[in-house]
Amino acid sequence: MARPESPPLLRLEDLHASYGPIAALRGLDLVVAPGELVCLIGANGAGKTSTLRAISGLLPPARGRIVFDGREIQGDIPAAILKAGIAHCPEGRRVFPYLTVEENLAMGAYVRRDRIAIAADVDEVCRHFPILAERRRQMAGTLSGGEQQMLAIARALMARPRLILFDEPSLGLAPTVVETTFAIIADIRRRGTTVLMVEQNAYAALRMADRAYVMETGRIVLEGAARDLLDDDHVRRAYLGG
Amino acid sequence: MEQLLQHLVNGLVLGGTYALLGIGLTLIFGLMNVVNFAHGEFYTLGAYAAFAALGWAGVDFFTAVLAAIAAGAALGWLCEVTLLRPLRSESIDTTMLVMIGVWIAMQNGELLVWGGVAKSIPHPFPTAPLVLGPVAIAPLRLFVLLIAAGLIAASWLLIQKTKLGRAMRATFQDRDTAALMGVGIGRIHAATFAFGSALAAAAGALLGPVFLAYPSMGDLASLKAFSVVILGGLGNLPGATLGGLLLGVAEELGAGYISSGYRDAVGFVIIILVLLFRPAGLFARQERIA
Repeated sequence: MARPESPPLLRLEDLHASYGPIAALRGLDLVVAPGELVCLIGANGAGKTSTLRAISGLLPPARGRIVFDGREIQGDIPAAILKAGIAHCPEGRRVFPYLTVEENLAMGAYVRRDRIAIAADVDEVCRHFPILAERRRQMAGTLSGGEQQMLAIARALMARPRLILFDEPSLGLAPTVVETTFAIIADIRRRGTTVLMVEQNAYAALRMADRAYVMETGRIVLEGAARDLLDDDHVRRAYLGG
Repeated sequence: MEQLLQHLVNGLVLGGTYALLGIGLTLIFGLMNVVNFAHGEFYTLGAYAAFAALGWAGVDFFTAVLAAIAAGAALGWLCEVTLLRPLRSESIDTTMLVMIGVWIAMQNGELLVWGGVAKSIPHPFPTAPLVLGPVAIAPLRLFVLLIAAGLIAASWLLIQKTKLGRAMRATFQDRDTAALMGVGIGRIHAATFAFGSALAAAAGALLGPVFLAYPSMGDLASLKAFSVVILGGLGNLPGATLGGLLLGVAEELGAGYISSGYRDAVGFVIIILVLLFRPAGLFARQERIA
């Protein structure tokens, strides 16, 4: 067990949540240490997206605790959780199609009040993703899938988070763009932001992550160093195609 | 030709207030998915609030118009917070029924306070029309047109250029993701409803002195507002503006060239045609709330 030594940045304890009568999370335990890149893998419907939605406040948990940086945040509204330092880059990118690229970035900084720093961050993000600078005044809906993914990531960064949740960042993207996206995520982690990622491309996710959790029917069934899980028989059979 | 120009000018005055009504309704409908049958009552409220401010508080006409707008915003906000907020996850039918209840309650409230006899709202403008070349326009009507144009421009600026407006557009496009960005959806809904109601009240305070104030004046205003939304497309602000002006001008032309008795019929014939041939609205584009 490669449990991290330092106190965790995020800790989920016995988390339960449901959509109406349908239970999505049934006693989930998970920790993420500061600076780690942790990935969460599992079959469709295992509860991966629900886990992220519970953390960011979109799916208020019925039971259990979510502790971020030593403070319980379960039951807080999304705005408060974002202010605490958790940004969520949702599945399917979900850029605002009829806002410009610039307006989308501004939405990412919605909870911030420091106008000058926000403007500086927009410039910084545009330097980092030149394609966004080029398309600054274009509607986000006119961007290609890969460009939209960059915009979604940049938008999440605009909140200056300490932890970013990525939900299926490679879904529906062309293979070359997938590579770029993973490189961007690796870079974000290198620059000090902690990452919790849900990814259907388990092989790629395990290769870049420090640790990983395997989820089945709303709870964790396996955890460990990503390297070890790549060699695990069960993981190979179920998620890596033999 | 002179007659045509005169009808166009009269149509624009009427159309400007229709646009105000339509913008309010299209924002509420588009953003909150609430079919606001009480919208016309905020128009009535605006007329009576101006009347009350003039008569009871004794303020001047311009302050009375501002007071009417403030009253519309305040009651709209209250309506959202107390009635619509608890029903946010309910179906569109439920909120529609609630708004029909608000419509009935407000209309009877007005009847109770002010009685059934129509009130004339005094205004400081001279009654002699201004003659500008081929057309004549009463100074009050010119004032109505200018203020309506100003409020439409202000609405556009609010939606396009402010942080609140950006959050409103984002919420309209993707409510969940807007919440993820930290947008308080409840606050956005309250602001939208207050804003839309304030615009309706402004229309009432502006047209009240032109015509008369009476408790059921909002019924027709509601119908006009829905017509404007149908013409312009859901959540489409330029569409509501153009739709309002178009409806006003068409009614004026119908009244002038066919018969004044057909004024309202002309508007509704247009609506039927639009629903038959362009059900998404005359100005339907992909973009909404913009």
